[in-house]
Amino acid sequence: MKIKITLLFIMLLSVTLLLAQGTPSALQIIENVYRRAAPEDQQAELQMTLINSRGEERTRQIQQYLKAYSDMDKKIMFFKFPADVRNTTFMNWSYDDESKDDDQWIYLPALQKVKRISSDSKSDYFMGSDFTYDDLGERHPGEDTHRIIAEEMINGEECYVVESIPVDEDYMYSRTVTWIIKGKWIGLKKEFYDEDEELLKILTVKEYQNISSYWIVLNTEMHNVQKDHLTRIKLSKLQIDRGISDTQFTERMMRRGL
Amino acid sequence: MKSKPFSFLKYPVLNLVILTIISLFFFRMIKLHSRMETDLDKYMPQTHPAFVYSNLAEDIFNIRNGVIIAIENPAGIYNTTTLDKIKNLTRELGKMAEINKNDVTSLYTVDNIIGTEEGMDVKSFYKRSPGTPEKLADLRNNVRHNEMVFGRIVSDDETVSVIVASIDDDVFSQQFYRNILKLVESFEGPEKLYVAGTPIVEGTMAYLGPQDMKKMVPIVIVIITLVLLIVLRSVRNTIFTLLVVLFSTIWTFGLMAAVGIPIYAVSTMIPVMLIAIGVAYGIHLYSHLELHLRENPNDDKQIAITNMLKSMWKPVMMTSVTTAVGFLSLLTSEVYPIKYFGIFTAFGVMLAMVFSLVLIPSGIMVFGMPRRKSVKVLKQSSKSPVSFRLADTIVRYKILTPLLTAIIIVVALYGIGQIWINSSFLEKFEKDSDIVLTDQFINEHFGGTSTLNVIIESDKPNRLKQPDVLRAISRLQSDVEILSMVGNSFSLADYLQRMNKVMHADNDDYNIIPDSKELIAQYLLLYEMSGDPDNLWKVVDYQYSKANLTFQIKSDNSKVIKEVIARIENHRPDFEALNLKLNYAGSGYKALVFTDLILEGQIKSLVISLFIIIILLSVMFKKVWVGLIGSIPIILTALISFGVMGLLNIPLSTTTALLSSIAMGIGIDYAVHFIERYRIYAAETSDKTTTIRLTMQHSGRAITYNALVVIAGFLVLLFSVFPPNRQLGALVSLNMFTSFLGTLTIMLLLLAKSNLYFKTRKE
Repeated sequence: MKIKITLLFIMLLSVTLLLAQGTPSALQIIENVYRRAAPEDQQAELQMTLINSRGEERTRQIQQYLKAYSDMDKKIMFFKFPADVRNTTFMNWSYDDESKDDDQWIYLPALQKVKRISSDSKSDYFMGSDFTYDDLGERHPGEDTHRIIAEEMINGEECYVVESIPVDEDYMYSRTVTWIIKGKWIGLKKEFYDEDEELLKILTVKEYQNISSYWIVLNTEMHNVQKDHLTRIKLSKLQIDRGISDTQFTERMMRRGL
Repeated sequence: MKSKPFSFLKYPVLNLVILTIISLFFFRMIKLHSRMETDLDKYMPQTHPAFVYSNLAEDIFNIRNGVIIAIENPAGIYNTTTLDKIKNLTRELGKMAEINKNDVTSLYTVDNIIGTEEGMDVKSFYKRSPGTPEKLADLRNNVRHNEMVFGRIVSDDETVSVIVASIDDDVFSQQFYRNILKLVESFEGPEKLYVAGTPIVEGTMAYLGPQDMKKMVPIVIVIITLVLLIVLRSVRNTIFTLLVVLFSTIWTFGLMAAVGIPIYAVSTMIPVMLIAIGVAYGIHLYSHLELHLRENPNDDKQIAITNMLKSMWKPVMMTSVTTAVGFLSLLTSEVYPIKYFGIFTAFGVMLAMVFSLVLIPSGIMVFGMPRRKSVKVLKQSSKSPVSFRLADTIVRYKILTPLLTAIIIVVALYGIGQIWINSSFLEKFEKDSDIVLTDQFINEHFGGTSTLNVIIESDKPNRLKQPDVLRAISRLQSDVEILSMVGNSFSLADYLQRMNKVMHADNDDYNIIPDSKELIAQYLLLYEMSGDPDNLWKVVDYQYSKANLTFQIKSDNSKVIKEVIARIENHRPDFEALNLKLNYAGSGYKALVFTDLILEGQIKSLVISLFIIIILLSVMFKKVWVGLIGSIPIILTALISFGVMGLLNIPLSTTTALLSSIAMGIGIDYAVHFIERYRIYAAETSDKTTTIRLTMQHSGRAITYNALVVIAGFLVLLFSVFPPNRQLGALVSLNMFTSFLGTLTIMLLLLAKSNLYFKTRKE
């Protein structure tokens, strides 16, 4: 059971596996990242800051709840700030079955109606940020071919540098390069290249912590270098495995608000 | 007539060699360092508030000019191949180095905000071109029901669709244009494709004007050479007269290259000025020499030249100084290319003066006196010369001439009342040129190829999410769209109306701005979650404190744009009541402001130079009356020049306005030569009739030749394929003619009437 988390690259270390072997293969490194145990549910306050090329900032505060199920992940997000969108609620059910589109609802308090929204593809940007829906999910290791291109130290951590090239040639990125901390199996930095093989975005993990034996990323930044647009996401008041009720992810809760 | 020879004439060969070497040096400078400046933005004063504001707004909202490509299929665009072509052309355009792929807008790229039974959906109209009739019908239906696309991207009759590629101002080149045409051509058949848009119009104009000039100028020079040969009756004299013009032009452009000032479009007028003014020096000098030799056939070249210089250096110097001062008055302009034009033309005129006083005598010293058949001179004894009879005739029409002049002035003033300014680029092309026809075609089917941006601004963030503001914007849009030349408009209000309608099950009653500011904010959040927020940043800024309204206009004519602005201005009080500022932006608006600036500067400098010239003339001739009388040809020339433009509906533009400087430069030359001669003969003969006759024979003849040469040369431009160059040719010729006629008729009459230089004798 694995939970697909909005912005977090929650990773757990499988030390034993590493000790058993020498240098793992590129695929194994990615598998290690992919196959970690993760919390079953999580609630947190999320602050999203959007910064454009002129240095102007917009901030949103969101209360979010996540829960993993056997065949899907559910997520509900309540806007707390800005005031004019307070209690606007967004709910997403994402299915493990790749062929099945996500179900998404939005509740607009000013309209007092829950509406379904759909989006064309996973290459859409999430809430005007620099993250696509796909960036926020977890990509199955089998969807790319991987290769170790270097081993480097960043921020005092030894990292494998793994290049991943999608099997599907029409994928929105032509390739990605990820810096993965040896042993902790956290992606510390990731570069995304567009269809023309030009650097498009850089994801940087600013802060991560070991909480209840899970490695949890608390602070990330995605920089679209082509547009010079930046998104910062920061988690606070994090609570893990508190047994969030299934009824939290319903239209009724959307209408009720915070 | 004995006089000491001028010392520089001791080494005439050296003079010629030195001048030639320096000219070659400057020629090399031109070859190495000259560059053309074609980016129109570079012409505008960057510190002017209107430009500062517009540039800032263009930056915030990514307002740029678009290359517009229209695909026409008379059978309708909703078939798989046409849709495939739209998709593929969109992608191919995005791959061009000059175009950012995110800046290409077409039916393939635009968002379709649609209402579904349960909510809202933002998706593209198609990814893979629909293959079945049902899917094609679906697509057609989707477009028809989307006001943001129907009539904007797809024409109302569904036979044409446009692809717009926004580009930066400085990326347009002829190569780029050719590449686009080549790309577009490969998509032809059965569909027809058209390429238009402001970058194409501006770029082609910047290219076509100089290109046409390159073809025409050699012909102009050939004609001028031929006429010079006829009037000077000497190959040698013709060559040296032309060398004066050539050298001064080379030095002027060489100096521009050396100090790193690029060649602007107006700079191409410098040679025009120098030809018109420069040939005059040679003609006057040779004409004097010829007359002198008629009277003193036995003088050797040393004496003849010394006499020529002695009596001519002063008027030549005076004309060039007054002309140069006239051009220097352009320094008051706020537009740098015009300032440079003024400085360098003044420089060129002074050079032409120096060269004519050095090159021509040195040439005679080295190559000998011009050999002339003096047949005519011998025959003259029986009858009085033509010039004498002409002078007598002119003096006889004491009443008719002033009367006619007065009538002409009145008509000219009426014409000036009709004059209008046009900053349109499109109207500089032939009515039946491809560019104009394509533009018409697109304007018939869509909102318009020209745009005007209106920026609504508040000092508070989020103000643009308020219903009162959005309603005011919406009202402004629908009111201005009533104008027939306004195709459509686009703003944040359109997004909100569309979303409000879609969220209410596509009910048209909800195609309005919602009442609640929370709902507006929530719609916008929703749009950001489901659409491409980059589209939003073209109509509103990040903080929701500034909005950009785009009006699409079917013409770039200044009258039309001003009419639209006047209509918008009616709404200004509404916005001010809401504490909002209203400003304009975009390239069409900047062109409008720019043209006004140029004209304002031009008129200011005309008035200033007129005063300076009157003062200069008064000082040079030590009489205020001479200053006033001498300025008459200039005033007449300027009045008639503007008057004719008004009467013939030739709008004032950057080029035509500058032509009034020619009127100044040439008009003053004629007057100075004439008055100086008149003064000398008055002193020599003390008889007015003889003075007038002799002056007519001397200066009158030279002036006539001068006018003849330049008019003949510039009339050639009437055969140009580029309309602005035709106007240039016609107006230069006209100015030459009025200056010539004004000097020899009304000025002569007033000079005679005033009794200047005869006063003492009368008493």
